[in-house]
Order: sequence, then C-alpha cells, then structure tokens
Amino acid sequence: MLPFPELRPTLWDGLVVLGVILLAAVILASAWSREEDGGALAVVVSADGEEIDRFPPGELPDSPRIYENNGYTLRLAASPASGGDGVRVEAADCPTQDCVHTGVISRGGQSIVCLPARIIIRLEGGPPPETAVDAVTG
Amino acid sequence: MKHFAAALLSAAMLLTLAACGGDPDTAQESIQAIAMDTVMVFTAYGQHSTAAAYAAEKLAYETEALLSRTDPESDVSRLNSAPADTPVELDGRTAAALEAALAWSERTDGAFDCTLAQVSSAWGFTEDTFCVPGQEELAGLLEHTGFDQITLNGTAASHAPEAAVDLGGIAKGWLSDEILKIFQKNQVPRGRIELGGNICVIGDRPDGSPWRIGIQDPADPLSADAFVGILHLTDAYTVTSGGYQRYFEEDGKTYHHIIDPATGYPAENGLVSVTVEADAVEGAGAMCDALSTALFVMGEEQALEYWRSSGYEFELVLVTEDGRVLVTEGLADRFTAGEDTGYRYVTVS
Repeated sequence: MLPFPELRPTLWDGLVVLGVILLAAVILASAWSREEDGGALAVVVSADGEEIDRFPPGELPDSPRIYENNGYTLRLAASPASGGDGVRVEAADCPTQDCVHTGVISRGGQSIVCLPARIIIRLEGGPPPETAVDAVTG
Repeated sequence: MKHFAAALLSAAMLLTLAACGGDPDTAQESIQAIAMDTVMVFTAYGQHSTAAAYAAEKLAYETEALLSRTDPESDVSRLNSAPADTPVELDGRTAAALEAALAWSERTDGAFDCTLAQVSSAWGFTEDTFCVPGQEELAGLLEHTGFDQITLNGTAASHAPEAAVDLGGIAKGWLSDEILKIFQKNQVPRGRIELGGNICVIGDRPDGSPWRIGIQDPADPLSADAFVGILHLTDAYTVTSGGYQRYFEEDGKTYHHIIDPATGYPAENGLVSVTVEADAVEGAGAMCDALSTALFVMGEEQALEYWRSSGYEFELVLVTEDGRVLVTEGLADRFTAGEDTGYRYVTVS
C-alpha cells in the first residue's frame, strides 16, 4: 500500500475556505435580517382559508383591488393618510359592514375581516411590533 | 498548518449549516381560518410548528361540525332534535365540551347557562333574525332552561322536554384547551392560539418578552388600535365578553347577545366588558370562556365577590358603564393602561 502523499494547503485551498465562510456569513446575515424585520410588508388576502392574493401595499394606489367570495364583493384601497402602507376596505356589499368600519390597517399582524364574505385581509412582515400588540381580546 | 486548515473548514461548515438550518425555536407557522363564526389564527414556533398549526386548524373545523347549532348534522343539533329523555350517543369531544359546560353552569350557580338555546333563538341571535320577544314567551322558554335539564352519562346525553343545548359560550374555550394539548404534544416552545377574542399564549415572544395582548376598547369595538389596556402574558389564557360584540337596535334601544338566564333579557348590570385571565393549565380555556360570560351576567359586585371567594385561579379586567376599568391585583403588574382612553383605572384587591 502506498503511503498517503504529504498534503500541504495551497493558496487555492485558503481561497476556497474563505469563500465558504463568506457565503455562510452572507446567508446567516440575511436570515437574521429577515427575522429581525419580518421581511417587507405585504398585504395577504385569503378567502375560505385559501390565500388568493399577496402584494406590497404600495401597489394599491395605482390599482384598487376587488375580491368576491360567498356572494359578497369587497373593494380594497390604499389609505393616503397612512403614508402609503395603510389599506382599508373602501366599500363592501356585506350586511354587517364590519370590514368597512374597521378602517385602516398599517402594521404587520393587523387584519380586516369580513365574516359574511369569509375574506381576511392581513398585513404580514414589516418592522417587529415593539409597541403594538400581538393579539387582541374582545 | 493541517490542523489549522481542518479547524477552519469545520468552522465554515458549521456556519453554513447554521445559516441554512436556522434555530428551530424560530421556525414559525401561522394559519388563519374562519370557523365557529369567528376568525382563528394558529401561530406556532419550533421544529414541529407546521404540524401543530395544521392539526389545530383541522380540529377547529371538526369541532365546528360537532358543536354547531345551525348545522342540522352536528352532534348538538342531533341532541336538541331528539325526543325528550332519549339518550343520544355523542362524539367523545362533544361529550367533553358538554361536560365542561354543565360543570361551569353548576359552578357559577347558573350564571353561565348552556341551555339558553331557545331563548337565544327567540332573540334571533342564533339565526341572525333579530327581534324582541314578548315577556310571556320568554317566561315560557325559561321554564325549560338550567343545567339540570340535561343528563350526560359517559358520551350519551339527553334533554328534558323542550330543553336544548347551546355550547356557543364555551366551545371556543374548550377548543383552545384542546389545541394547547396539540401544541404541547408537538413541543411548540412559543406560539399563540387566537380564536376570535379567546387567546392562549404559549411561552414568550421571540425577543424573550411577554406577549402583548390588547383588550379591545368597548367604546370603539372595530378599531384595530383602540385598547382599554395591554396585558403582558406568558403561558396564559385570556377571554373577553362584552355586550358590544353582537347586538341589534330596535326602537332606539340596543339589545346585546349576553342573556341573563334569570330574566331572559340581555344582562344589564353596569358592565361593558369582562376580561378573564388565567394560567395556561388544563381546562383553563373553558373556565375563562364560561366565566367571562357568567361574570358579565353577575355584574361588578358579584363578579368581584366570585373572584375573591370561588377558589378558582383567575384574574379580571372589568370595564364599567360609568367609565372605570377595574383590574384585580394579581394582574396589575402585567397590565398597562391605554393612553388617553378617558377611563379611570382602579386596582381591586
């Protein structure tokens, strides 16, 4: 049996190690950053428990969106007063109008619910809610 | 040099694994569902967060199918439509929820009553056909209410003539208890179970601080930012009942959905909302749910007396019609008053 040759790290070996470390650091930093800020704020719309739409709230001023489910129609629009990230149900033909009366939501974790239409509009991501609440009882 | 290179490579590999795998305690799954006429959100962290959240959602739909009063195929409908005094075999889960409901009816001396089904229907709260029933009609219906009108033997239940069951006042609380068991089985280190206003928090927030649970301001019930105050909770249940949650108006008068079993009319005892908080131990979800209704019916004085003397471990936040917020002493250091609410805050001992 031949003896193993003497292995001596070369400059290329060092570069490979450095590359792996750099790559790992970049991925790790990116993951920590995502956890820290929850990612970019997104409007998530679900009907009957299924996600039917997802978009940045900044898209709404140009194109208000209309959703139909369970025989009712909701019109989702931006709220100029909230600085661009706020959304509200501008109009709905549901009997309770609770979704319209909820008004503007602008932070991650907040949601507008239309029980008759079985539609939930929820904001996800954005900065962590340091002063906001995690849930509401009432 | 060889050892140095090996150590460097090992470190690089570990760093890469950490970056790709992440901390299992931060893996998060959040599922929303509409069930039992409310919005539910199941948020679980940990390695088994996805399995836990989906199992919770599945149980919520199954529970709705079992306990609904409006679904003719549900266990509750089968029981109510069965001939009087005829035992009906129930799913074990329905029997367990009914058992909890009957127990809390008795423990609150009937202030929480799971047999107000006919009375609630007379007001139209079950079918959304709101109307004010006549006094004579209500008096007749009340003759057939009370937990002694229902018999439960194992998983078989029967009702006395004209009596009927409505588990709406405890179903979500009971469900939150069951979902907590699912979370524990899946070793969820932190998370939230939100069944409308019924909240259970597990562990603490990812930053290590307690979860922040807002108590909705009854004066502004639809606002996403109007709170009487904020509860700072770890491993706890909290449930709120209030007349503002479901009501209708007729001839200028407002009628809400929390019926006083003694009169058949919406309870009017000077309270606007009752929030009950308890440690997340087995059965506490059902307790908080039942007590939030029962104590609302009792009114301020009786509710506080019950808190002092019942022997059950829970804390309260009561909002009164005259603008006071009463916080029991065990909760005072975990409660932050809302800003500029106009309420007067009082700690009760």
